[in-house]
Amino acid sequence: MPRVIGIDLGTTNSVVAVMEGGEPVVIPNAEGGRLTPSVVAISKTGERLAGQVAKRQSVTNSDNTISSIKRFMGRKFTDPHVERDRKLVPYKMSEAPNGDVRVTMGGKASSPAEVSAMILQKLKQDAEAYLGEKVTEAVITVPAYFNDSQRQATKDAGTIAGLNVLRIINEPTAASLAYGMDKKKDETIAVYDLGGGTFDISILQLGEGVFEVKSTNGDTHLGGDDFDQRVIDWLADEFKKENGIDLRQDRMALQRLKEGAEKAKIELSSTMSTDINLPFITADASGPKHLTINLTRSKLEQLTAELIERSVGPVNQAMADAGLNASQIDEVILVGGQTRMPAVQESVKRLFNKEPHKGVNPDEVVAIGAAIQAGVLKGEVRDVLLLDVTPLSLGIETLGGVATKLIDRNTTIPTSKSQIFSTAADNQTSVEIHVFQGERPMASENKSLGRFILDGIPPTSRGMPQVEVTFDIDANGILNVSAKDKATAKEQRITIQASSGLSKEEIDKMVKEAELHASEDQKRKDLVEARNTADSAAYQAEKMLKDLEGKYSAELKEEIEGKIAAVRSALQGEDVENIRRTAEELQQSMQKLGQAIYGQQQPGGQQPPPPGGEQPGGKGPDEGTVEGEFREV
Amino acid sequence: MGSEQEKAEGEGEGGTRGETPAEEAVTGANTGRDAESHRSQLEEEKLKAERCLTNWQRAEADLANFKRRTEQEKADLIRYANASLIGKILPVLDDFERAIGAIPEDISSAGWIDGIKLIDRKLYNLLEQEGATPIDALGQDFDPHVHEAVMREDGEGDLDVVVEELQKGYKLNDRVIRPTMVKVGRRKSASH
Repeated sequence: MPRVIGIDLGTTNSVVAVMEGGEPVVIPNAEGGRLTPSVVAISKTGERLAGQVAKRQSVTNSDNTISSIKRFMGRKFTDPHVERDRKLVPYKMSEAPNGDVRVTMGGKASSPAEVSAMILQKLKQDAEAYLGEKVTEAVITVPAYFNDSQRQATKDAGTIAGLNVLRIINEPTAASLAYGMDKKKDETIAVYDLGGGTFDISILQLGEGVFEVKSTNGDTHLGGDDFDQRVIDWLADEFKKENGIDLRQDRMALQRLKEGAEKAKIELSSTMSTDINLPFITADASGPKHLTINLTRSKLEQLTAELIERSVGPVNQAMADAGLNASQIDEVILVGGQTRMPAVQESVKRLFNKEPHKGVNPDEVVAIGAAIQAGVLKGEVRDVLLLDVTPLSLGIETLGGVATKLIDRNTTIPTSKSQIFSTAADNQTSVEIHVFQGERPMASENKSLGRFILDGIPPTSRGMPQVEVTFDIDANGILNVSAKDKATAKEQRITIQASSGLSKEEIDKMVKEAELHASEDQKRKDLVEARNTADSAAYQAEKMLKDLEGKYSAELKEEIEGKIAAVRSALQGEDVENIRRTAEELQQSMQKLGQAIYGQQQPGGQQPPPPGGEQPGGKGPDEGTVEGEFREV
Repeated sequence: MGSEQEKAEGEGEGGTRGETPAEEAVTGANTGRDAESHRSQLEEEKLKAERCLTNWQRAEADLANFKRRTEQEKADLIRYANASLIGKILPVLDDFERAIGAIPEDISSAGWIDGIKLIDRKLYNLLEQEGATPIDALGQDFDPHVHEAVMREDGEGDLDVVVEELQKGYKLNDRVIRPTMVKVGRRKSASH
């Protein structure tokens, strides 16, 4: 089934996302990155390059490497924007016969749509590789201020790339979708988008599920790159003051400054100060020089204050154009990586007098919104089935009152789980299945849901019978518990209604109590487990002594019997250490017995098989159990 | 379909039960309506069942695809988990190389200098053991998949070639952690 992808086709970077199991997911590109540079090129050998690879060769091939093509989409050659931006790009542009813009690449004159198509093609291929299936449809975002011909150019780019563009949606609208704004009632939303190279402010009106653009404004040459530049300049200037060398003249040093500046800027979004440490940045007659300097958050804010200030004018203008003041704006959304900076967030908060939404990754939020729109347009091919989870663990009580979980809490239902249990005593012919709900290790501390008995188990040594206990919860939360004796195929079951459990408050309380009592509960559980192990060991030992009578020395018999007695005596008390130790010692003596036996003859004697799993607390026939009945508590 | 047809059938057969045409018509219509409502109910149920089957199939397919993708992601994670950490350590390796490249003449034979060189070797070997390998650049044809051009010099020729390595690049298994930062020049290809 072909998937519809959501594409944020940005000026500097592009992002692709898709709906996956009802959730939007960003698709990484072939190089493993979540952002793909919006750069394409035709190499000297005629190879078409797009993304990071194209960026890497731009210096050697500036004539044929195209970046920021978005600035020219759908515009006429004589458009003043084109006039201005043309001067800032190294590639050649010309005018088509109909007045459109043409870009010279690889000796050919291409339209901006054709160039954008190369980017989209790479995004499409990488998405197909990731998803493992063909991608033929997409939703692509554009700035809210794009006019008809700019939107058409974007759609054309999609078509050229082999994508059926289901819809072109506005970037601020996409961002609003990503934050679930469409679920709300009538709202006024401001989207503050400060990306790598451009700043856009949009005021949207949401009414009856439809987003209307009330006004837009911005600064097409204000972005994170400018912030980086301020830091770079400061570093270079400081260094020049100290050492008299201008690092900007040294290509390698400049590169290191750039990386250091960007890293520092990012760090200062979460710390108050950071060190920029660039050893051997350059050298002069007196030897190598190092750049080590400390940059504080407040200094960074000083350096960039003017840039943040530049965004205030457009915001106020946009509000004025929409005929609204700050108090009439219901929601504010942040888009673009630079909005991670605390000073920017503060500024936005002051401008609108409210806390902006920033939970979704600001670099990816537009693509995510596009994916959500794609999902809506495509419609649910599969009905969305909302599934519940079981809020508390479910299980049965086993030997010693231990709560043995079969289904963990927060397991999605419907679900089914089986486990094999056995008897606790010799000749036990029935088992009692006591179902509980809760997190405590001891069954008595949990909520009892019901109990029933399975009888008719052929009498044999304890641990031999195999009783399969199955928990099955259906989509409505109804629990069916069954116990089946594998030997006789006899089965009993109980049905527990969903409502017989606990309320939400009780559930929360249970979980908290489990945490509080975790250590003491664990101790109790340890004791019970130690008991069970020791008891089992003593039982096995006695059995072996009897079965192998005459095949070992009387000395050994006395030793082992002594150890067994020690275990039994330890079991009278509650000392876990004592119980464990005596059981250990018994095991060691038993090993001697094993050696003695196998030393004598070929291994041929039957070893009693270990007990099958935990043993449910059960009653022997002489304790007067009621057979076949169950009672719901 | 429906009662019209029923009636027509009844008439065509000339009254199977020998009732008066009027009675027959009425009875025919009744059983016709029942049969029809059952028929349409059956159709409805069939559609529902089909829909359930389709949803189930799609859900299974979704799960299968998700599993496949998760397996792939796990494998990738294991292979490239260290890429990020190694990428962060590379600048330290770079600084060591710079330091060694700038050893002053007069102390170049000092034992202490040897020690620093050994530390550099150690760090390099450690990264190598983790699967990081340096990218071949100097003298190679320029390849934007593994090289990043930051400077260019003019020259004679039709091929781009790496004339200087400014910063070493590294691969982890087959993925580029950091491309080599290079200066690109020109050379003539063999056919010239």
